[in-house]
Amino acid sequence: MLSVNNVTKKYGKLVANDNISFEVTGGEVSLLLGPNGAGKSTLIKCISGLLKFTGSIEICGNENKSIQAKRDLGYIPEVPALYDMLTIWEHMEFIARAYSLRNWKDRAEKLLERFELDDKKKKLGKELSKGMQQKLSICCGFLPEPKLILFDEPMVGLDPHAIKELKTMIIEQQQAGNAILISTHMLDSVNEFWNSTNIMMDGKIVARRYRNEMEEAEEDLETLFFRITKREN
Amino acid sequence: MKALVYLLLTQTKNKILSIRKKPGLIILYSFILLFVIGSLLYLILVGDKQVNILPVDNRSLFLFLSGFGLLYLYTFTYSGLSTGSTFFTMADVGLLFVAPISTKKILFYGLISALGKAMFASLFIFYQIPNLKNMYNYGIIEVLSLFFIYVILVIFCQLLSIGVYIFSNGNQSRKNMVKMLLYLFTGALIIAVYLIMKNEAVGIMEAVKMLVDRNWFGYVPIVGWVIMFFKGVLMGSIIDIAISLALFALVSILCISLLTAHKADYYEDVLQSTEFNYQRIQDYKEGRNISSTTNRKVKVKDKENGLNKGKGAFIFAYKHLLEMKRSSRFIFVDVLTVITTIGVSIAGYSIKNEMKAYIILAAVIYIQFFTTVFGRLKIELMKPYIYLMPEPSIKKLFAASISSLLKPCVDSIFIFSALAIVGGASILHCLFMAIAYICSGAVYVGLTIVYQKVLGSQPNQVVQMFIGIFLMLLIFSPAVVISILFSIFILPKSLLFLSSLPFSIVCLILAFIIFLSCGNLLDNTEISEVKR
Repeated sequence: MLSVNNVTKKYGKLVANDNISFEVTGGEVSLLLGPNGAGKSTLIKCISGLLKFTGSIEICGNENKSIQAKRDLGYIPEVPALYDMLTIWEHMEFIARAYSLRNWKDRAEKLLERFELDDKKKKLGKELSKGMQQKLSICCGFLPEPKLILFDEPMVGLDPHAIKELKTMIIEQQQAGNAILISTHMLDSVNEFWNSTNIMMDGKIVARRYRNEMEEAEEDLETLFFRITKREN
Repeated sequence: MKALVYLLLTQTKNKILSIRKKPGLIILYSFILLFVIGSLLYLILVGDKQVNILPVDNRSLFLFLSGFGLLYLYTFTYSGLSTGSTFFTMADVGLLFVAPISTKKILFYGLISALGKAMFASLFIFYQIPNLKNMYNYGIIEVLSLFFIYVILVIFCQLLSIGVYIFSNGNQSRKNMVKMLLYLFTGALIIAVYLIMKNEAVGIMEAVKMLVDRNWFGYVPIVGWVIMFFKGVLMGSIIDIAISLALFALVSILCISLLTAHKADYYEDVLQSTEFNYQRIQDYKEGRNISSTTNRKVKVKDKENGLNKGKGAFIFAYKHLLEMKRSSRFIFVDVLTVITTIGVSIAGYSIKNEMKAYIILAAVIYIQFFTTVFGRLKIELMKPYIYLMPEPSIKKLFAASISSLLKPCVDSIFIFSALAIVGGASILHCLFMAIAYICSGAVYVGLTIVYQKVLGSQPNQVVQMFIGIFLMLLIFSPAVVISILFSIFILPKSLLFLSSLPFSIVCLILAFIIFLSCGNLLDNTEISEVKR
């Protein structure tokens, strides 16, 4: 589903992503872990096609900037990017029309309902709290039914109900065979569904582990994270 | 106190050192510094020698000063009625307000810090040294006095705003009282202008100039005090200078005593404004500046909740229409249209000369730069949707540009009709000037795209603006030169209304070339990263 090959991203002399390669297959929830400034968000933005980079990224076999790849991609940014003068419902309609979706209304209603936004459909973007903005941003990302979903710190700002709902939705996507890449610091919140993890330090992936490997080694995510990031420090 | 001195000095030092890492800013500041030093040297070398290349009477400068004074008076009084003003940042709120330091010392720190910022913001006066010398024959004393009084005005208005906030916060009758005072003040000025027009049998501009030049005008709060100070400098009247500064000091002390009364517990009074400022800066960084400029309460009814039209890339055009409808009742006609039309009417009325009307055209095209280049297309380029949408880049860019291309068409109807009606310019002149305005709008849309391509990853807004203005001058220079040559050497007098036609044609060609060559922008550029 997602294939990242030798991706390097530089900001002047600073190497934010240094020759990164990895894959995420259908039905896999892959994590991007790492300390602040490790290059996780930059990598997610490169995959989304928002930043220029060297190397190649393929989404469902298509180059990430191709129209087909964009159709298969869902991206939920770290900072919700909403329009002040559109209502909650109009954001959903905007996405539906932009992606030329059919029969989207019921799906949009259900998404809003799951995030308790269904009674606030007439609220404008500028009237939403940070948490509500994040919920709407997630709904917008899910509406086109993407095959690959990228999350950049998705749980930040969400209330416990929304976190629970989002976890359920991620598991549903996993079961439906879609690929998910999550950048997060909240290790506990992803513990129940992750399949693989990539630990980043200084722009590089310094460790990649699969869940079954770790279970066999009786190691948990947190211990691995601290062991690797401490050693690298 | 040591901590506050340390904070002030360290922040200043770090700010200066941080420039080392920003080559764009180094070039910009070096350019400004060289210009200011050059201008000061010019003043010193020329000395008292009469230059007067373009002799203009002092009253026009008094008029400018009054304009600034009035603008600040209204703006800061109104902000005092809503959120107040502040000398502090969110970092001060989080770290300083909770520290065991005297509130009065913190207030003093705030004032010093605001003074520094005001002085930096007032440096633009030094860019005007050549104009001030050539037009008014001012020397170094006059220029420094202008700088000084402008800094005083900025600081004073912030204090006034805090004073108004403390006085009126949570008390509607006091708010109404302040508003009423402001209305009475405005009414009195209008009546004064009217009486001068009637008694002296002069036009509106002359009447306004005469008003600001009257001796009693010096006692008019704020606006007059500024003029009194500067006239005092020009005439060497120490008494005028002293009275003006004493009046500023008196009201400042009143505002400070309002702040420091009751154990100097002013934190709550500045908190809302500090948070508001912080939010505005965040909004600006996150590309929410344009749509947030309206404070109009928008209530969306059931039947209005929906885009209802558009598919694929063209949804951007329909979305912009909806956003504009919610920002202004008349969609394309907004506050800017009204202000520009009024400005053009006043300028047209004063000039009443068809060839000089081109100066007005140049001015509105210059203003159009800021509204277009930092407009809706720019906002789209700062959000991820336009990059993520599965449509060809050129189609998305075109769709997201439609509203920016249409707005000058609507604006030009109002602006150039006003020029024809009030300014007396011929309809043909106005028609071709309107076409030039629309075509320059198209170039600006193209420039926004070039901008993203060249400066997409340049986070500094000041650098972006200066490079943008440089690009604008670079792009427009050939068009303007061709138009001037065409008018001088080819056009007969009877066809002078066609003077702007070459400019329009060159603009259209340039816009077309930019659009075609940068059509794949979204596949080859980066989203502007939010600077945190």
